[in-house]
Parts: sequence; structure tokens; C-alpha cells
Amino acid sequence: MDDIVRSAPNRPWVDAANGTVEREAFVGEDVFRLELDRIFHRLWIFVAHVSEIPGRGDYVVRTMGRVPVIAVRGSDGEVRVLLNSCRHRGTKLCRGEAGNARHFVCPYHGWSYAIDGGLITTSYDEHLPPDMDKADWGLVPAPRVEIYKGLVFAAWDPGVPPLPDYLGDIAWYLDALFWRTPEGMEVLAPPHRWRVRANWKIGALNFIGDSQHVRTTHAGPIALDKVRSERDGFYVQGGDSFQVVTDDGHGCTLTYLAPGMPERNYLTHPPGLRDAYADTLGPDRLAMLHHLRVMVGNVFPNFSFIESQVALGEKAVIVRQWQPLSGTEMEVLSWVLAEREAAAEYKDRALRHGFHNFGAAGVFEQDDLELWASATQASDNPIARRFPYSFHSSLPFDDAPIDNAKGPGRSYKPSNTEVAQFAFMQRWDAAMQG
Amino acid sequence: MNEERGPAPASDVAFLEVQRFLNREAALLDRRDYMAWFDLLTEDINYVVTARVSRPAESGPVDYAIVDEDTDTLRLRVLQIGDPRLTRAENPPTQTRRFVSNLEVEDADPPDDYVAHTNLLVYRQRGTAPDGDFYAGRRRDVLRRDGASLRIADRLVRLDHNVLFDGSLSVIL
Ligand code: FES
Ligand SMILES: [Fe+2]
Repeated sequence: MDDIVRSAPNRPWVDAANGTVEREAFVGEDVFRLELDRIFHRLWIFVAHVSEIPGRGDYVVRTMGRVPVIAVRGSDGEVRVLLNSCRHRGTKLCRGEAGNARHFVCPYHGWSYAIDGGLITTSYDEHLPPDMDKADWGLVPAPRVEIYKGLVFAAWDPGVPPLPDYLGDIAWYLDALFWRTPEGMEVLAPPHRWRVRANWKIGALNFIGDSQHVRTTHAGPIALDKVRSERDGFYVQGGDSFQVVTDDGHGCTLTYLAPGMPERNYLTHPPGLRDAYADTLGPDRLAMLHHLRVMVGNVFPNFSFIESQVALGEKAVIVRQWQPLSGTEMEVLSWVLAEREAAAEYKDRALRHGFHNFGAAGVFEQDDLELWASATQASDNPIARRFPYSFHSSLPFDDAPIDNAKGPGRSYKPSNTEVAQFAFMQRWDAAMQG
Repeated sequence: MNEERGPAPASDVAFLEVQRFLNREAALLDRRDYMAWFDLLTEDINYVVTARVSRPAESGPVDYAIVDEDTDTLRLRVLQIGDPRLTRAENPPTQTRRFVSNLEVEDADPPDDYVAHTNLLVYRQRGTAPDGDFYAGRRRDVLRRDGASLRIADRLVRLDHNVLFDGSLSVIL
């Protein structure tokens, strides 16, 4: 085992020709440390939604890989992402999860910072040498912060490409979820947070395109939903379905309504917002949304999203983040969003039904988590690590995207192969090599 | 100190009735007898579990719902966790042992109804994990008189947790 671990950072974990991935990638602590270096402390990482920090001084406390940060709206209205660690001896400035601040005052020795991060006073400025420039001793800002359609991302490598370039073709799909009315979306409640003893990539793979797990893992809610929807005269049958993979290793899976499904059964937009959708999205994406039953996907590395019908007349847009804690544990954050313009009563129902399915006690979530934890646990031993994971059901399809795609990126059918998952793993492997 | 507490502590007789009721209810849940448990609820049950955002004391705490069920969605939830073919999280079943204590009972309106405040501690053992988990919180139940027995019309469980541990909450609190 030691040999495998020691050599881990140098080997390719993904065997593209044979459709396998080393288990080491899903349990190894060396792999995790390298992930922090080459992925989480380098690339664009989701930090917050703008609606979580609407006012000046509003902040939320988040983590990028192992780096604790404060996302705060400054007095100039700009969103900044600051290292949540005092420049003096490192104490956290914000020790809660969220709040509003006029200054960040360190509780240890009293260094005080403006909400834009600048150092105001050390409390003992008279003892400082004259050549110490306080301008150099502000809270460390993430060098890159960009907002795409309300989604705040930050990066610790100043050389990352602009966020729209990094997102590439997946942006077309994100727009349909995150900015489809003139005002955009808002987060309806603080994120649910829970820990699970599973590797973070299992979550990302599950969302980018794991149609194979739905029937077995979620036998319960599917059977029960069917009973209820038949009783209520509301039954949504999935039809045409495909996976999308972009050049950057992002991807999603889309499932349309079966032909002939009465549109009234499916909510294409919250009441009163039909025209707003049409104006904001344009005809192509409007057509896509109007026939879409589920869209679920992942932006590399750990930002996932899903929109699905959750009850008669309600859709919920869910954002997920898979926040690694170690090679074998993660914290999951889960937000529910709706259109800002939607009626309060609609938002209440969307929130309630959104987390009924996908929250910290979600009827879908609970079964996934149990199985993800068991996958990580059973793989975390030297014997299991000799045997790679199978992604074989990607291979026959990898080189055969369909021609009549409905949006950008490469589209693949059927949707219940592992093309998107294997593309994620190859993107991950490439990031880890360099 | 309880900010929801009304002015009228109930009689000792009422206190004992409520205590017996809550003990029996707890035993049903620990036995996973969800159908019998469901019979203890009113048709218009409202079942809410909250978690807490940790914020500076000056900003005040914020609770937010992680479960918010009416009778329909709650029925779906217990049908799922109560049927071994329909659940992964609860098959093999997790074992719970719950402690319902620090009971305070108030008279409510109408006078045969009660509001019961309790502390809740639930130990949960999952699979063969060597260490179990605890859920801790303060519970407020509205109990409604129905003939000779009481029913739960409203339950609010305010968990003392910010981040839930070890997977998701797949048991009833
Ligand atoms: S650690 Fe912050 S003032 Fe000393
Ligand atoms: Fe799932």
C-alpha cells in the first residue's frame, strides 16, 4: 500500500483507453493534498450567491478547499473574498457562518480591518516601525473574484482565465437556471449543511450524469411519487434524454418530457413569468426549458446544480457544493433558489419541496449519502485499492456525440451511460498532472 | 427561559397525561412503528425541524427549516423509511434511543389542548459504525384533545446543530 500511496501524485489515475479509474483517487490522502494544490487552491471555486449578501457589510463565511474565506459586500457595493485569518497571528475574523459587519475586528489583539479588507489599526500603531506600510497588511483578498449570473466564484491563482472562459459552453445551460427573468434568482434560505464520510468526487460524478443510479438508489421516492402523482392526476414521464459534456470537463444531463405529456402537468415557469422567461432567455433556451423535466449537472470541480419538478406546479433550483474535508469526508452545502419576481407563496412552496427531496433530510438525499459513504469506506483499504473502478459504459459512446444537439457542447445519447462522468474524471486527471 | 412559553402552566393531571403520551410516542418511534405513530398525528399536522446559523451574538441566531412537512409529505417520508424495499438509508435499520425530558406543559386554546416543551436527545446507531451520533434540540408540540386521547397537531424541533453529521437525517425526531 505504501508504494501505491507514495507514487500516487505522479501517476495518471485514469485509464482512458480501458475505462477505469484507480480507487486511490477516491480515498488517498496524498491525492487529496494534491487536489488542494492543483484544483481547490487554484481554479475557480463557487463561494456564494449574490442574494446571500445583498447589503453593505453583509458577509458569509465559506471554505475553498482548506482555505477559510469571508465573502463580503463592501461599502462600494463590490463583493470581495477575503482570507478569514488575521494578518497578525492568524485568528479568524468571523467565527460564525454569516452576519453583517461594519469592520472586521480581530478578537485576539484588536487589529481592525475595513470591510474591504484594508487594515485600519493594529491598536498599537505607535509601536510599529515607521517603514511598516499598513497598506500591505490588509486581509488577504482572493486575487480573482467574478460573478456569473449571480454566482460568485473566486480563485487563488491570479492566472486563471476569466470566469466566462472557464465556464465555456456550460454557461448556456447555467443561464437557463440562474438568469431567466430580468431580476435573476435568489437564495430562499441559508444553505443546508451536512457532513458525509465520502469522497467529494462521488457527489460531482453523481450530478454530472449518473442516470444509472436513479432506479436502484431512489426506488423509494420514485415508487411513492408515482402513487401520489397518479392520485393527484399529475404524472410526469421523462422522454428524450441526453448528456452534455463541454471541453472544460463541465457537464449536465437533460431529460425532456415524453411526447404527448400534457404541458399543464409540468410547470414551465412560475405563474405570471412566462413573458419574462421569453424576453430574458430567447427562443432556443425557452424551448428547452419548456420541455425540460430535469436538468442536473456539475461545473468542475465541485459546483453542482439540479432543477426538477418537485410537486404539482413547482420547480426548485438547487445548488450543491461538495466541499472536501479529507480524502474520505466532505461537507455538503445545499441551497434552494427561485426567481426573485416569483410570488412569496410560490417561493415558500419551492423551498419546502426543494429540501423535502434534496435537503439535509431529503428523501432522495438520504439514500445517496448512505451509499456514497459505504463506497468510500469499502474502498479505503489496501486490498480494495488494487482494483480500479469501472467506467466502462462510457467507452462505446465517447467518440460518438450526436449531431442534432439542442445546445452547445458535445451531446451524447443515451443519457444512461457514463460519458459525462468519465469526462469529469479525465478533466480531473489532467488538472492533477499539472 | 423559553420565549414561546405562555403564561399558563397546566395542571398536574394534565402534566402526567402529556408525559405519558410523549413517552409512548417516543417508544413507538424507537420501535419504528411508523403506522402507529402516524395515528397519533392530526390530519393537519405540521412537522418542522430546524437547524441553526451560527452568527455573532449581536446579530442574533437564525433558525432555518431542514424539514417542513404537512400530512401528505410526512406520510411519504414515513412510508419510505418504514418499508425496507423503499429505503437505503434505513435498511439495515438505524437504531435510535430517544430521551424526552425537561417537560413543561401549558394550557392552550381551546382549554383541553396543551403546548408541551421538551428537551430531546436522540442517540442513533447506524450499521456497524463503532460510534453513534446524537441529535439534540428543544421540541415544542401542540397537542390536541381527541376524545380520550391526545394528538400532535404541530411539532417544532429546534436542533442545536449547524452542520449535520454523518449523512442526512433519515429518522423522525
Ligand atoms: S491575531 Fe488578530 S490581532 Fe492578533
Ligand atoms: Fe441520487
